[in-house]
Amino acid sequence: MKRILLLRGAELIVFAFLATIPLLVVNPYALGLLTLLAIYGILLIGLDVTVGYLGQVNLAHVAFLGLGAYAAGLVVTRLGLGMVPALLAATVVGLVLGGLLALPALRLEGPQFALATLSFAALSTTALNELEGLTGGAQGLSLSRPTLFGHTLTPPLFYWLCMVLLAVVWMLMRNLLASQWGRAFEALRDSPIATDAMGVGTYAHKVAAFALGSALGGLAGGLYAFNFQYLQPQSFTYDLMIILLLGVVLGGRKSLWGAFVGATVIVLLPNLLSSRHLFQIFSGLGFAGALAAGVRGLVKKTTRPFQALAPVVAMGLLVVGGLLVENTEDWRKAIFALMLFSVVVGLPEGIMGFLALFLAKLFRVPHAPLPEPADLDTMLPVRPADGSALLVLDDLKRHFGGVKAVDGLSMTVRAGTIHGLIGPNGSGKSTVVNVISGLYTPTAGTLQLRGVTLPSGSLYRVAQAGVARTFQNLQLFGELTALENVLVALKGVYRNPLPMVLLGLARREERTAQAEALALLELIGLRDQALVKAKDLTYGAQRFLEIARALARKPDLLILDEPAAGLAHPDVLQQIEFIQRIHQRGITIILIEHHMDVVSELCDTVTVLDGGRIIAEGTPDEVKRHPKVVEAYLGQPPQPELPGGTEPLPA
Amino acid sequence: MNAAIIGQMAVSGALMGLVYALIAYGFQLTFATSKSINFGQGELVMVSAFFSLTLTNLGFPYWAMVPGGLLFGALMGLVVERAGVRLALEQKSEGWILLSIIIGLFFFSAAENIWGRDDRPFPTPISADPIHILGVDVTRLELSVAVGVFAIMGLIELFKRRTLLGKAFEAVSADRDAAELMGISSTRTVMLSYGLSGSVAALAGILVSPITTVGPTMASALILKAFSVAVVAGLDSGFGVVLVGMFLGALESLASFYLGSGWREAPGLILLILALALRPNGVFGKATIRKV
Repeated sequence: MKRILLLRGAELIVFAFLATIPLLVVNPYALGLLTLLAIYGILLIGLDVTVGYLGQVNLAHVAFLGLGAYAAGLVVTRLGLGMVPALLAATVVGLVLGGLLALPALRLEGPQFALATLSFAALSTTALNELEGLTGGAQGLSLSRPTLFGHTLTPPLFYWLCMVLLAVVWMLMRNLLASQWGRAFEALRDSPIATDAMGVGTYAHKVAAFALGSALGGLAGGLYAFNFQYLQPQSFTYDLMIILLLGVVLGGRKSLWGAFVGATVIVLLPNLLSSRHLFQIFSGLGFAGALAAGVRGLVKKTTRPFQALAPVVAMGLLVVGGLLVENTEDWRKAIFALMLFSVVVGLPEGIMGFLALFLAKLFRVPHAPLPEPADLDTMLPVRPADGSALLVLDDLKRHFGGVKAVDGLSMTVRAGTIHGLIGPNGSGKSTVVNVISGLYTPTAGTLQLRGVTLPSGSLYRVAQAGVARTFQNLQLFGELTALENVLVALKGVYRNPLPMVLLGLARREERTAQAEALALLELIGLRDQALVKAKDLTYGAQRFLEIARALARKPDLLILDEPAAGLAHPDVLQQIEFIQRIHQRGITIILIEHHMDVVSELCDTVTVLDGGRIIAEGTPDEVKRHPKVVEAYLGQPPQPELPGGTEPLPA
Repeated sequence: MNAAIIGQMAVSGALMGLVYALIAYGFQLTFATSKSINFGQGELVMVSAFFSLTLTNLGFPYWAMVPGGLLFGALMGLVVERAGVRLALEQKSEGWILLSIIIGLFFFSAAENIWGRDDRPFPTPISADPIHILGVDVTRLELSVAVGVFAIMGLIELFKRRTLLGKAFEAVSADRDAAELMGISSTRTVMLSYGLSGSVAALAGILVSPITTVGPTMASALILKAFSVAVVAGLDSGFGVVLVGMFLGALESLASFYLGSGWREAPGLILLILALALRPNGVFGKATIRKV
């Protein structure tokens, strides 16, 4: 509670201070800068959604600023409507065009995504320039600030409007990002495959996030239009985009405060560059800071030499340049480049990331207490293990070119059993799992869960149908805590619609969700590590956490893909115990495993694969004695009539 | 509309498109070894062109200026690799996108202040008189673009196939970890690919400058189209970039003729977004199988 109070208090103080400034100071220039600060604040909060939370380099944000500005401008000049419809139009333009761009572009990752957004930005500049009849082209578009509910907006009033909007955006985004939505955004950056497999639609969330960020860009554009009252396509180009990225990265990604700090820097930069003297002071400070941080990093060996030295060199160039160059304004872009370079290399978490660490050390505020774990029997009722056919595979095939990874597999998994799937390497086990869970589309054959055909080729829809899985190569959300990993996948708790979430009225279901997630963590012995980031857990704990996360789907069928791979012996024993506990709740399990002791201990039925086909099926003991199984694992038994047949088999 | 004019526009557009293809080929070189591309490649084209212009103005003959320019391009490519790409690759992050943009911005500003903001002509001994081939007029200058593009692409492909170093390059492209285990330094191979990519960018600058003039912004339109070509063709098909480059060049030459020169960029951008929607791995790219 104390933590919340501190954070809210800081927000309140800053906003109250900003709101009172026009009453104290009557300098129009300063007021102009502050208005711009509010507008850029909204803009950067929007950009941070894609750059920070989705972790994608988005070069189209400046286009949404421009399109929003023109939309608002045209609504006022052409349609003669007022401020409210104009701002709404700007936001909607951002939302819709953002969604339309995101639909194709977000099927891509990394460089291709950046290229697609860059192309969109270039295309929109072209359109604004060339649609002269509508936008006035390169001549620009002049407009006058419309009234708001009949009031003429003087500079202080307009400033207050911008500040109120910034505060509203701030509040809504804070609620959203702290909710299941924000967690999903972060999770899908760490592992898009796992979010799909946990029934969180990766693609849909990405598109929604991008559209949301773009809508904020559009809104900022509307305010931008009424602030400058003159629009030109050249204002919204690549140069401004770089500055916006500078703001987000310098301020600190994944942080509202970071966006605010970034906006402050952007607004102050031109003033900084206009005076040579001021520039020399700041570049000197930057150099000193980089030097101190670099030396500290090298001595403590926390950073690599390049990471420590490169910012010092870049800042040194700034200082030397500041002494040599007559007019710093000419070298504006190089100065941005050097600053941005130093920050990206030397301070990747930005100013706020750095400050947050520092403040956390200073105040040491404990995390809000977690609720008591929920009752497992109510949240995950024991299901009847009636032995009916749960999953039926019929003549399933999956070929990769000429490789028949799975070639005509028919198998029935009965409700309430643990069904083992074993076989030598390359026998097709993982392919079977990937086909069942929807990662691969089968080449032929059918899959039925309780008599209903499973959707094929979509992890997400299979997850929705009641199948959950773990991954042989861990696919945890490393940046999220153990608790949050489970929360992302949790099914059946989050019901409140988006508007309630935005307004912060969904706190109660968050508590319920936490209680349920804690119960699952307790089941696998990780309750006391609930607040540790997944990437910081031990390897064994990470394997256990994958199971808890899959259980959060409350699945009919749980697929465990080599859950004991790489575990030390004591951990294997624990793992066996956890799987037995899950089995006691009546959940059907498919277990892929190499450890024969684990298979013998746990499985009711075992299916043995080799070369994509079933070679044996039965209880663990039957299977172990089956001649074909022995042959598949150990090779052809020695033939007595062949010469040299009595020699030991090669290892 | 006269078929001869359409043919003429298409041919000169396609020849111009070869420059896009060449720059896109530079992206492919670095993408193959490191899955990264230089977002400041356009600035590399531009500074190399300026440097070559300076060499020419200092009195170097054409045959000496070209290797000098290529060497400079390679050096700048290495600078980008060292300052912008290596750290991010070591951290397995996508910071290189931002860093290569930043380094490009620095080159841009440096060029603005060293060589000035104006566009300047680029002298060349190759004549701009048209010659008549199959009913279409082509200048020797335009033909020199085609010759240069095919020559350097051919040389690099030969290098990759015939030399030990080239085979190491292919090995790292195919499987970085396996190549490392076989004793091939992937860091050096990535450096090599950035050096080659820089040279390719420099050649693109030298070939295109006599036609378009040299200036700080000369490559900003060029690079967008090279991006489109690289993505539409796929980042792993050298043959694809040539075809798509020529197609795009012809298309935009016709578009600017019919729609007005302001819309010159539009076909490439629309083609790009369409290709992304329909074939995210590129028209000539291979789909990858997801593994977990």
